[in-house]
Amino acid sequence: MRVLITGSSTPLGVALIEALVAAPDVEVVLAIGREADAPVPPTEKLVYQTLELERPRVMHDLLWGPAHDLAIDTVVHGMHHRRSGDHGRRVHLQNVGATRELVLGCRDHPTIRRLVYRSFAEVYALRHTTSDLIDEDEPLDFDPTAEQWTRDRVEADLTVCAQLGRRLSIAVLRFAEIMAPEMGSQLWDYLQSRVCLRPMGFDPMINVLAICDAVTALLLALRSEATGVFNIPGRDTLPLSRVIFESSRADVPVPGPLIAPLYRLRRRIAGFDFRYEMNLRRFHFGGVLDGSRARDALGYTPRMPVHWPTPWWKTLFERLDPRNAS
Amino acid sequence: MSWQSTESFHDEGFGFDAFGLHPPSLASALRVTAPLYERYFRVESSGAEHIPDHGPVILVANHGGVLPIDAAILSLDVLRHTQRIPRPITDHFVPRLPIASTVLARLGVVSGTRANVRHLLERGELITIFPEGVTGPAKRFRDRYQIQSWRVGFAELAIRYGATVVPVAIIGAEESWPLLGKLGTHMFGAPYLPIPASPFPLPARLHLHYGAPIELGYPPAAADDPDAVTEAAATVRGALEDELAVALAFRTGVFR
Repeated sequence: MRVLITGSSTPLGVALIEALVAAPDVEVVLAIGREADAPVPPTEKLVYQTLELERPRVMHDLLWGPAHDLAIDTVVHGMHHRRSGDHGRRVHLQNVGATRELVLGCRDHPTIRRLVYRSFAEVYALRHTTSDLIDEDEPLDFDPTAEQWTRDRVEADLTVCAQLGRRLSIAVLRFAEIMAPEMGSQLWDYLQSRVCLRPMGFDPMINVLAICDAVTALLLALRSEATGVFNIPGRDTLPLSRVIFESSRADVPVPGPLIAPLYRLRRRIAGFDFRYEMNLRRFHFGGVLDGSRARDALGYTPRMPVHWPTPWWKTLFERLDPRNAS
Repeated sequence: MSWQSTESFHDEGFGFDAFGLHPPSLASALRVTAPLYERYFRVESSGAEHIPDHGPVILVANHGGVLPIDAAILSLDVLRHTQRIPRPITDHFVPRLPIASTVLARLGVVSGTRANVRHLLERGELITIFPEGVTGPAKRFRDRYQIQSWRVGFAELAIRYGATVVPVAIIGAEESWPLLGKLGTHMFGAPYLPIPASPFPLPARLHLHYGAPIELGYPPAAADDPDAVTEAAATVRGALEDELAVALAFRTGVFR
């Protein structure tokens, strides 16, 4: 297997590169990132290139240059803009334009035969009328008033899905939220405050994914011939209040209409990325990905729990415990 | 509680299932409501042995009263008489209700979307459905124990997933908390705001009669046949009306 990876500087990209470099059936890994330095030390198998793929010419030259020369046969596309607050044409080009150019380029490419696209659970429309367990047939979020962050992800997802059933073998993996820094995780950013405001009277079920499981899903999809859309849930499903508790944060229920202005103020003052408006429906109605299709077609089962930080009271007890004095 | 260790519960790792069910909360609710079940409503139950011990089951019941006391009593009764956790199916507006949506989810209540019900039946769970929907509680007092509009979706799912249907006649809920009127406000998406005839439920004795289980006998492919689905739904409706007639005939008084 000869693999091209975009978005290789994210924690998921790094973990995937490491897994691929260690895999005996992988001959070459061509990793693309925006950073000047390779995220992992280069090896014989690993080739790293710094490129800004939102420009069509750059994408074309990549596919018909290094990718062609290295006889790349499989592509993992995981490049997305991560900050929810950024918007505009350049962000759209990075999220959607680059995805379109990549898919169209792969479709006509002489050596590339498989594309694995990393999508998001956020593409689904969460309403009070949608199911608690979200399968791949649930409606997507076409709300025109949604943030660009969401609209771009839906558009990019559909851009890839439009090529399903043609020559190129495509798997679209819709990942549950990966709770890790630098992953564009709204939940991670939400939990950076010591006090987490939650809509009063609502405690929805949240599903989170560990990076190890995300890498496992990508590796299974790379080695599989299964095409289509697959939900990739995580192992941990728990109420939002429990997420806050496990993160050792203070859970403060607040009347819903007050939360958005408070978090807007927090964003302006402290520069956090969490936007309550984007998470409003999720914080009311929840929604857990149903991974039965991925289990049946890819053999994927979530196994790794998310690493929750040690609670402050536990750390305090450990410090005060005389047995730990030495 | 024997059902806490049964296959009925699919723990997702933190003591909750994907729909939000939390068995310790359910056990607490069972303890707290025991005086209501035993002393206030003095529930009389018969035929619970008709409920299969395993496999997908749909309990189909009549619906009435201002608030779904009948649904709550039915759940408590199933928990007391079987080793299964009932999953009551509610209308779409319930997830929009603050506090109530969370409390009900912890007790096993599930919003009535097609996919939710499909997931539950695929897992072989026991669900309780009131095919009258809101038309049951919204009916006038003089129409009590008369089946109102009858949705057929449950029949389609029962055929598709080979679920056993058990009709349940619930007597007493209509007199316990009659509806005086309705306000046309649609707060939180509710179809109306009920005006009860009394400030709290009256201590009418509640009777639950479980009918004989109905195996619809259609192949799964018949779930796509509208005629077969309508016919199956009518069969269940007929069985429920028969149960209601028998139960009402044997009742000696509303409060006795």
